[in-house]
Amino acid sequence: MAAVQYEEATRLYPGTPTPAVNKLNLSVSDGELLVLVGPSGSGKSTALRMLAGLEPLDDGRILIGGNDVSRVPPRDRDIAMVFQNYALYPNLDVAQNMGFALKQQGVPKEERLKRVRDVAKLLDLEPYLDRKPRNLSGGQRQRVAMGRAIVRHPKVYLMDEPLSNLDAKLRVQTRAELVELQRRLAVTTVYVTHDQVEAMTMGHRVAVLRDGDLQQVDAPSTLYHEPANVFVAGFIGSPAMNMLPVSVDGSVKIAGAEIRIAQALRGGPTTIGFRPETVTIGGDGPIPARIRVVEDLGSEAFVHLVVDHEGEEQRIVAKVDPPFAGEPGENVRLMLRGDVHLFDETEVRRATVRL
Amino acid sequence: MTDRERRRGGKLGVGERRTVVAGLGVLAWIVGLLWIFPVAWTVFTSFKTEEDASAQTLHHGLSFGRYSDVSHATAGTLSLQTAFMNSLVVVVVSTLFVLALAIPAAYALAIRPIHKWRDVLFFFISTKFLPIVASIFPIYVYAQKWNLLGTRSVLIILYIAINLPLAVWMMRSFFMEVPRELIEAAEIDGTNLFNQLRSVILPIVAPGIAATALLCVIFAWNEYFYALQLNFANGSTMPQWVITNVSTRGNFLAKLSAASIIACLPVVLAGWAAQKRMIRGLSMGALK
Amino acid sequence: MNATAADVALPKGKAGDPFSSAWRRRLPLLPALLYLVAITQLPFIVSIYYGFTNLKDKTQSLIPEPTKFVGLENYKQIFSDSFFRQAVWTSVKMTVLAVLLSLIIGTLFAILLDRKFLGQGVIRTLLITPFLLMPVVAALIWKQQMFSSLFGVLNKVLDSLGFNSVAFISDHPLGSIVTVLVWQWTPFMMLIILAGLQSQPTDIIEAANVDGASALGIFRQLTLPHLRRYLELGALLGSIYIVQAFDAIDVMTGGGPGSTNVPYYVYQQSIGGGFRYGAASAYAIVVVIFAIIIATFALRVLSSLFRDEERA
Repeated sequence: MAAVQYEEATRLYPGTPTPAVNKLNLSVSDGELLVLVGPSGSGKSTALRMLAGLEPLDDGRILIGGNDVSRVPPRDRDIAMVFQNYALYPNLDVAQNMGFALKQQGVPKEERLKRVRDVAKLLDLEPYLDRKPRNLSGGQRQRVAMGRAIVRHPKVYLMDEPLSNLDAKLRVQTRAELVELQRRLAVTTVYVTHDQVEAMTMGHRVAVLRDGDLQQVDAPSTLYHEPANVFVAGFIGSPAMNMLPVSVDGSVKIAGAEIRIAQALRGGPTTIGFRPETVTIGGDGPIPARIRVVEDLGSEAFVHLVVDHEGEEQRIVAKVDPPFAGEPGENVRLMLRGDVHLFDETEVRRATVRL
Repeated sequence: MTDRERRRGGKLGVGERRTVVAGLGVLAWIVGLLWIFPVAWTVFTSFKTEEDASAQTLHHGLSFGRYSDVSHATAGTLSLQTAFMNSLVVVVVSTLFVLALAIPAAYALAIRPIHKWRDVLFFFISTKFLPIVASIFPIYVYAQKWNLLGTRSVLIILYIAINLPLAVWMMRSFFMEVPRELIEAAEIDGTNLFNQLRSVILPIVAPGIAATALLCVIFAWNEYFYALQLNFANGSTMPQWVITNVSTRGNFLAKLSAASIIACLPVVLAGWAAQKRMIRGLSMGALK
Repeated sequence: MNATAADVALPKGKAGDPFSSAWRRRLPLLPALLYLVAITQLPFIVSIYYGFTNLKDKTQSLIPEPTKFVGLENYKQIFSDSFFRQAVWTSVKMTVLAVLLSLIIGTLFAILLDRKFLGQGVIRTLLITPFLLMPVVAALIWKQQMFSSLFGVLNKVLDSLGFNSVAFISDHPLGSIVTVLVWQWTPFMMLIILAGLQSQPTDIIEAANVDGASALGIFRQLTLPHLRRYLELGALLGSIYIVQAFDAIDVMTGGGPGSTNVPYYVYQQSIGGGFRYGAASAYAIVVVIFAIIIATFALRVLSSLFRDEERA
C-alpha cells in the first residue's frame, strides 16, 4: 500500500519531436483509484508504463511509497499490472498463471495454492483453474489477468485498458465489480482508459491527458461541472458539450438571441459551452432552431438541432425527458437553463454563469 | 516504433546496465568473427601464392593470380564458364518449377484444405528418407536408357524432386497465415483460384516465397552427388568444377581456395541479400 | 483473435464426383503430388525389386544385367553384416551429435542476436555464411585449412602454444565430420530459433518482468516452452538432411571405420566400389522402413507440429 508520485516525469521517444509524456506532475494517494484518461496518443499508456518501469524516464522522477524508483527495474518495484490484451502465459494453466509471481518470489507451494484458490473463489474462476488460456473466453481471461494481479498484494495496481476488449454488456458489469473490489482491497490503483464513461464512474479522481500534457486532475464531478479548458469540457460527458464560437461585449448572442452574461468579461472571440441538459426546448425560448434527428432511448431522449449562428449552421444537442413530441424538420425555440461556460481564446475556462 | 523495436532496440530499458548490454554486443562480435574465420582464412589464402599457402606464411604478397589461373580452362577438363552456365540454368529452371508446383499444392493444403492433409504432408517429407545413394542406381539406368546422361534436364528433374517437399511444407505454412476474411471476400467477389492467388494471397506470402526460393537455390546450387554421378567429367556443375581443382599431385591450396570462393560466391551473395526477407518469411509463420 | 485460413470448415463433397468440391480441393495438389510420386517412388520400387535379387557387376560398368532372384537373402545378410551395424551406429551418433549441437549452439547464437547492437546485421550476415557454402567446399576448407596436420591453422596454433600436433581427421574422423556439419547447420538452426524468439509477444515478457521473474527465469519458464515448436522443426529438418550427409565424408575421410554412415556405406556397396546393387538396395530399403517408423512415432506422437494445427 503506497502513494505514487510523478515529478516532472518526461518521456521522449528518440526521433520524435515532442515528448510522449511532458513533465507530468501527478500524485496518487494511498488507496486511491486514479484514472488516466485521454484520446489515442495522449500519453496515458506511456505514463502508466513509466510507472511500471517498462518505459525509461528521460527526465524527472517517479516515486512509489516515497522511494525514487526511476531507475529500478519492474521486478523490483512491487507492482502488479493488468495488460490490455491480458498477456496471460500461454503454456501455463490458470492456477499457474495466477501463482506465477508468487513462485518467482519463492513463496512455498502450499501457501501459493491457498492464495490462488482464495482469489479464484473471489473471481469465480475455480472451475477453470487447470485450463490453459487458449481454452478460456474473453471474459474469463480478463478475470484471470485480474486474479494474477490481486493475488500479489503489491503496493500499486496498474491497469492498462483492462475492459476494452470485453463486449459492452460484460464491460458494464465488470466495471462495477472492479470498483467494488478496489474499494474493498484499498490498494492504490492507476487505471488507464480512453473511455470517459469508465473514467467518470470508477475513479476517485480522474487525470485528463492530451498529447502528453496533463489537462486537469480532479474528482469526476468537478471535471464535469468545472472543466479547466475546452478540451476537458468536450472530452468529459456524453453526448459532448455544445460549443459555439462567440464574441463577448457585455452580452453573448447565440443565433441572434441575446443571453445575459456577467459584464466582467470583455473582449474578443471566445467559446461558450453548455451541456445538452441545459438546453430546454420550449415555445417561448429566445433561440430559434430546427430539429434534425430525435434519439429516444426510453429513459432519456437526445434531440439533435441546428441553429443559424453568426451566419453558419451549428449543431446543438439537447437532452430531454421522453416522450418528445417534435419531428425532424420542425422549427422550435430553445432556452438555456443551467451552467454556461465561457472559454477565452487560449481555450481556458474563464467563467461559468448559471442561467 | 513497434513494441518489439522499443523493447529490443533504442535505448536501454529500465535497470539495464550499459556495461552488460555492451558486453553482449562485444560477445556477439567475437562469436561472429570466430565462426567465419575458416571462410575468411580461405579467402585470404586464395590471394596468396602456392608457396605461401602451404606454409601459412606471407612472403610473396597478395594478388588475383590464382583467380585467373582457375578461370582459364585447360583442354579436356571442365571449364568455369561451362560449369557456371550449367549450374545457373539448372538452378533457375528447377526452382521456378518447384515454386510452380508447390504454390498450388500449398493452396490445397492450407486454404481449402483437403481432408488428409496430414498424411499428404507426411508423404512429402518421407520422400526424403530414402538415401539418394540408393536410388542413384535405378536413376542412372533409366537416365541412360532415355539419353539423359550428361544433360541439364536430368538434374533439373531430380532437383525439383529434392526441393519440392521442403517447398510445399514452407509454402503451406505461409499460406496458413493469410487471414480468412480476405479469402472469403475474394470468393464473394467471384474470383477463381488463379485470381485469388494473384491478387490476394501472393502479395501477402511474397516474403515466404522469397525465403523458399532462396533455400531451393541454395540446395540446388550446392548439390554434389547427383551432379557427379549423372554427368561426364567435362560437363557438370559448379561443385564438380571445384573438385577438379583438387589435385593429388602437388599442393595447390591457393588455387583450390580461389576456386572454392568463386563457386560459392553467387549463393553467398544471394543469401546475404535475401537474409532479411528470409528471416521475415520464416518468422511470418513458416513455423506455426 | 484473427481467424486464419486454417479455420475454414471443410464442406462435404460427394466422393467420386470429379466436380464435387472435394475433388476441386485436391486438384491443385495433384501436379506436385504426381510429380513426386513419379520421380521418387519409381526408383524406390525398382530398388525394392533389386533388393530381392543378387544384382551385381564387377566389371565396373554401370549397366549390369540382373542375375537371379534371391528372395530375402539380402535382407537376412544385413543382420549378420557387422559393417552395416557399425554404419548404423555411426549414423546415429553422427546425426544425433550434429543435430543436437547445432540446435544448442544455434539457440545460443539466436539469443545473442536477438537484441539490437552495433553491427548486428553484419554479424548475422557473417554467421549465416557457412550454411550457404557448398558442403564439399566446407569439408575441403576444414580438411585442408583447419585440420590438416601439414598446414592446418589449428595445428599451427597448437604448435605455437607448445602442444603437439593433432591429426584431427585420422584420429578423430567422426568428430571432424560432426564439426563440419555443426559448422554448416548452426546458422540454419539459428535462423529458425531467431524467428521463434521474435514471434513471442512482448507483453508476455513484460508481464513476467512485472511479476518479478529474472531474465533466466523468463527464458526457462516462458521462452523455452514457446520455442518448443521451433526446436522441433529445426530438429526435424536438420535430421532429414544431416542423416543423408555424404559430401563431407567423401571429401574428408573417404569412408573408414569411424566415419562411414549408412548412406556412405550403401554407396560403397554399390557404385562406390562394391557394385553389389542388390544388397545395397536391400540395405537402403531397410533404412527407409526404419526411418518411416521412427518418423511416424516422432511426428504423430511426440511432436506438436502436426497436432495443434486445428487451433490456429
